[in-house]
Amino acid sequence: MSESVPAPMLVVIDDDYAMRLSCAKILAKMGLRAEVFEDGARGLNGVGTCKPDMVIVDLKMPGLSGMEVISRVHEIDPQIVIVVITGYATIDTAVQAMKCGAYDFLPKPFSPDELRLIVNRGLERRRLALESQRHEIEQTMLKRRFVTFVSHQLRTPLAAVHQYLDVLKHLDQAGDAAVRRQEWLSRCLIRIEELQQLIADWLTLARVEGGSLSHERINVDLNQIIAGILKSYEQTAAAENVFLEAYLPDEALFVPGDRNCLNVLFDNLIANGIKYNKPGGKVTISGAKSRGEVVVAVADTGIGIPEKYRPFLFEEFFRAKDEGTKRTAGTGLGLHICKRIVSEMGGTIDVESQAGAGSTFRVRLPAWREPDTVGSQCDAERQANIDSR
Amino acid sequence: MRAKVLLIDDDADFRVAVKSLLESHGYAVLEAASGHEGLQMVREQKPDAILLDIMMETTTEGYGVTHSLKYRDEYAEFRHIPVFMISSITESPDERFPMSAEVEMIRPDGYLSKPLDIPELLRVLEKTVGATKGAVVR
Repeated sequence: MSESVPAPMLVVIDDDYAMRLSCAKILAKMGLRAEVFEDGARGLNGVGTCKPDMVIVDLKMPGLSGMEVISRVHEIDPQIVIVVITGYATIDTAVQAMKCGAYDFLPKPFSPDELRLIVNRGLERRRLALESQRHEIEQTMLKRRFVTFVSHQLRTPLAAVHQYLDVLKHLDQAGDAAVRRQEWLSRCLIRIEELQQLIADWLTLARVEGGSLSHERINVDLNQIIAGILKSYEQTAAAENVFLEAYLPDEALFVPGDRNCLNVLFDNLIANGIKYNKPGGKVTISGAKSRGEVVVAVADTGIGIPEKYRPFLFEEFFRAKDEGTKRTAGTGLGLHICKRIVSEMGGTIDVESQAGAGSTFRVRLPAWREPDTVGSQCDAERQANIDSR
Repeated sequence: MRAKVLLIDDDADFRVAVKSLLESHGYAVLEAASGHEGLQMVREQKPDAILLDIMMETTTEGYGVTHSLKYRDEYAEFRHIPVFMISSITESPDERFPMSAEVEMIRPDGYLSKPLDIPELLRVLEKTVGATKGAVVR
């Protein structure tokens, strides 16, 4: 433990002097901080000022009863771990104390080892409780921030379009707008397309996150999916002067999955390969089945991804910002969506890249495995699976 | 002499529109696409007013820029330059963001929401710097 973290704090409440003394000694020897009090009222005061991690309280005391102390302690901090000491250990009193919120009980008389054991367990419980509380707070903040952030992303293109049109209208009155009108209207259309893409991406993401994928696992041939996407990008690629080539096996590349999501996955990767390329460049798609997996690589000869950006590449809304990308539209969601789809399907995606020379995205998905009753066309695949084991 | 307005915003389209507007009203407009670039331009060009986007890229970089301009010793000579923060975030489920606590704490000279209301923008600038200056006011 680092020196700056103070030792856990315990409060012991017991009317028996000898008991208080021996507990304090044992706890001090464990390297813990402890304060002892002789009755419930003083004990609760102590809990208020010491803010302990754990309270050990005798159930049978004059004045405030142990049961009352338990509920009052939890009013101060519901995460404080409470252990009750009871002189006449019956199941009933223990159960009652647990119902009131105690974590465990210690029947008198107990040995130092028993005390140590229960204290250690209680402190571990406290640590876990605090950790999950912290995690929950972080999650909530992240969610809130996410909503703010997405609304900002949606408003940015809208604000640009609005500003263009408003200024255009304003300048029109001064007879000053003619030269700009065509160019600005084109920019407005581009920004509106960006907005539409962002909404489409966001919906895809919501669909993937909603887990609808996991219910919809049909046998999909990636060869077919990829061929369809390549066909749809023929014109775009030609316009950008980028060559598309594919090295796919004659046999089908079956994976269990959702056709739409697989389409989005490879569409994003191939579109990126074209978008972040150079004139005269190439996008090469290769696929193969090996050891129960289907591996598809999408390689481009484009601008590449500098090393400093690679750890963030699959994070939502991340976009590498430099000379090569600043003129390229993007929502920052494409690769994040790819990553989510691949993980939902039990696969992996990784990237190799050299800045200025190109990037290769490699997707590995579990291959489709026919149920045993199905005929012989899968024997070869099954054999391959057996071989790899 | 024309008054110089520095526009710091990562959205190029937004800059183009606002620049044309302000130029047609007699202002000279300087552009910066990031907070870093903006601060550099402040040092080199000493603008008369600054329009500053809060959220650039994925961070609230605008706060840092305002903070530097208003509180850091090395920018002491630019502290008098009015800074107007602009953002499309006007309200949010996270009340710490950005209208309330942070803007208030940093105390820019004004806040304008995006898209900018043209008459309001022109009024605010006219009031603070005016499109033309007779002499440099210190």
